[in-house]
Amino acid sequence: MTQMLDRRSVLAGGAAALMAMGVSREVLAQAAAAGQLTLSFPADVPTWDPNARSLAAVQSLYKMVFDQPLDQATDMKAQAALVTAWRYLDAGGLSLELTFRDDVLFHDGSRMTAEDFRYSFFERPRAPVPDGGRRLDTAFLWRRIRDIEVTSPTRAVVQFSEPMPSAIAWLYFLCSYVVPKAYLERVGLDEFQRRPIGTGPYRLTEYQQGSRITLEAFDRYWGGRPAIPRITVDIVRDPTARVASVEARRAHVAVDVPIREAVRLGTVRGLAARIDLTADIMLLQITRNGGFERDQVRLAAHHAINKDAISRAFFQGHALPISVPAARGTPGYPENFSFPFSEERAVALLREVGHGPDRPVRIKFFTTNGVFPNDFDMARAIGQMWRRVGIEADIESIELSTYQERLRANTLPEATMFNWGNAAGDPEMYGGYLLDPRAIFSAFKAEEYRDRIAALLIEPDEAKRFEGYRALHRDAVEKGYSIPLLQSVRTVVHQASVNYVKYDNGWALPQAWSFRPA
Amino acid sequence: MALIAFQILLRRLLLAAPIVLCVSALVFVVLRLLPADAVAMSLPPGATAADYDRLKAELGLDRSIFAQYMIWLGRFAAGDLGASIHFRRPVAELVGTALPNTLELVAVGLVLGVAAGVAGGLAMFAWRGRAAEQVADLAATALMSIPEFLWALLLILGLGVALPLLPFVGRLAPEFALPPHITGFLLLDSLLAGRAATLGSALLHLVLPSLALAIALAPLIMRVLRSSLLEVILDDYVTQARLRGIPERTILLRHALRNAALPTVSLIGVQAGFMFGGTVLVEVIFGYPGLGNLMVDAVRNHDLPVIQVVALVYCLLVLGINAVVDVLYLLINPKLRAA
Repeated sequence: MTQMLDRRSVLAGGAAALMAMGVSREVLAQAAAAGQLTLSFPADVPTWDPNARSLAAVQSLYKMVFDQPLDQATDMKAQAALVTAWRYLDAGGLSLELTFRDDVLFHDGSRMTAEDFRYSFFERPRAPVPDGGRRLDTAFLWRRIRDIEVTSPTRAVVQFSEPMPSAIAWLYFLCSYVVPKAYLERVGLDEFQRRPIGTGPYRLTEYQQGSRITLEAFDRYWGGRPAIPRITVDIVRDPTARVASVEARRAHVAVDVPIREAVRLGTVRGLAARIDLTADIMLLQITRNGGFERDQVRLAAHHAINKDAISRAFFQGHALPISVPAARGTPGYPENFSFPFSEERAVALLREVGHGPDRPVRIKFFTTNGVFPNDFDMARAIGQMWRRVGIEADIESIELSTYQERLRANTLPEATMFNWGNAAGDPEMYGGYLLDPRAIFSAFKAEEYRDRIAALLIEPDEAKRFEGYRALHRDAVEKGYSIPLLQSVRTVVHQASVNYVKYDNGWALPQAWSFRPA
Repeated sequence: MALIAFQILLRRLLLAAPIVLCVSALVFVVLRLLPADAVAMSLPPGATAADYDRLKAELGLDRSIFAQYMIWLGRFAAGDLGASIHFRRPVAELVGTALPNTLELVAVGLVLGVAAGVAGGLAMFAWRGRAAEQVADLAATALMSIPEFLWALLLILGLGVALPLLPFVGRLAPEFALPPHITGFLLLDSLLAGRAATLGSALLHLVLPSLALAIALAPLIMRVLRSSLLEVILDDYVTQARLRGIPERTILLRHALRNAALPTVSLIGVQAGFMFGGTVLVEVIFGYPGLGNLMVDAVRNHDLPVIQVVALVYCLLVLGINAVVDVLYLLINPKLRAA
């Protein structure tokens, strides 16, 4: 039933329009008073099926609507969520017992039980793929699950076909979310994607693909109702527009703004800016191809990069230089190891193989442009640094899809600028994938690491596993198999009226924020 | 005349079929020859070469390009546009949601651009020989030399930030919910649902993005219309009209403008096609949920089924505009009707 406009509604519309044209600062303040927060965010979920895709950039969005079995505290440590207790039942790490909360409700009011966990982590990933459909990413990530035995509504035992020591980390990583079995089976996947329900702190009330996500606090959330009742996420891909939205007071919080703008906006009255380290890392994906065939050249290339200077120039010194392919403070980072910047050593190494500034090694250097902050500018700076010691890099800007194609076909050039996300911080998700010659994400195929990494992937003793990865990371850098650069940063600009809570892994979670009293 | 217009549209439709077929084949082949990998783009961390091969087979990308195209064509003919690799949803649903938004944006952009262009053209003609004409000409050149996306940013910084008058993100203010889905066109649905406030908010959100598009169109129309008017004003029928004592204003608006409109309509037809291209960056900058935004997402993720269909939709839109321009020609020019 539709109705055309009458005079009263036209007048109301006019008033609303005038209000919208009014000073946006006041509009935002009114919204805050009414418990409405607007977040300007750079990415949208590809689908509202949280098990389908493992995209790091949108985890904060999924975590508003869905819960993972475990969670991470602000300092990245694992903490209880839907699962309150977890322990391996055997020394070999093949049986993992999980105890669930008994007070968790889905947004439709139905109770979450261990059966929903079994459905999300075993039944769904194993279900036959319909014609034209796609396998869930959980099918790849949890393929080592042989079965999940549900012993009671609050208890399940995960049986693995082989040890999966990173399983605890995977329970709070990427697409590992619990979805409602009964609802999904009743309405089907298409309807679930249109009207998703989870156990998360917010209910999805409206979704405009690529534009806007509207959420309302879930009153019966097991963790307590979030402090901010309503969230509107504006999907704003253009960084200038994100800056403008928070500067014009049309958004309370803007995420991933350019560093310089964050610094500038930090000085604006009523705004606060943060440049926080995350667990993601920037590195050069290198190969043994072409000019990088010899170890000396790759090591020289690493020694010639002044990471401190790059951090100061492009990240105001906030991005931390790293010596191994892992974030500082995570279990895979050997704190007592440092790979020095030394042009002299780089020149000496190149001289060993008959090269130098007068007779440079010529290499190809791929970089994306705008995929992560300052990628292209950093590549140019590194190219200049290399030139000083005798490495002539031909820099080429590429799309991420081209990188993936060349990586898979093993035809990447000598070096490629890359950003590697790992909110969990587990070392398996750093060197375990980046250096494993079997993994399609590894650029440097070091066959000598095949067995070493295979052993680490099933090592049940956590201390041994972490020590093994620290040694692996260090070894890879010392041999010139990896050129890590910097620990990534996340920039956030917000209205001073917002209590923003920082997560060390880079999450931006409105459920943790609140408005300051006026 | 309605019959002739129908015949023109029918002829255009028949001609469109082979064009669409050629474009679909071209886009399909080019996408698969590009050094980019849709399969690797959609695999999770830790995936192995075996996972890659299995997924490639699932997507049918392990077959020859010809075989893939024939399968796609068969499904397309049956109305199945396929499923998105990135979004994991039917392409028809994605395009169906985004297209009305883009059509609304382009329609408002066209109305603003044409209105400003015609008004400017008439003003320039009226000011002919005066300094004001030179100033207007200079302004038109300046407006044309800045691309749409830069206008988008300038408008945001000017009317969104410096003078915070207009909204510039998305389609609605946070306090307004979407109206019930009736046609998919937000303006129309707001109107049909009797939600004046929502309609007002949607219109306000359309101002800056459509202005960014319109600014690129208006100066072109201004110049072409001014030139056409300068030509037709020397024609005999204008002299005759003056001799009959018809006022200059009536001659201009009723006689000269109608004859000068032909090249302008032609230009608008061409520029409307370009305007769809211009929406790509404008939609990204304004966070506007249209076809351009969808295309950018699809290209970034090398989502072959979505790129393929969106490219075809753009092709169909351009063909549709050409058909409409042909009919408008017929309405404006009686000589064509006789022919």
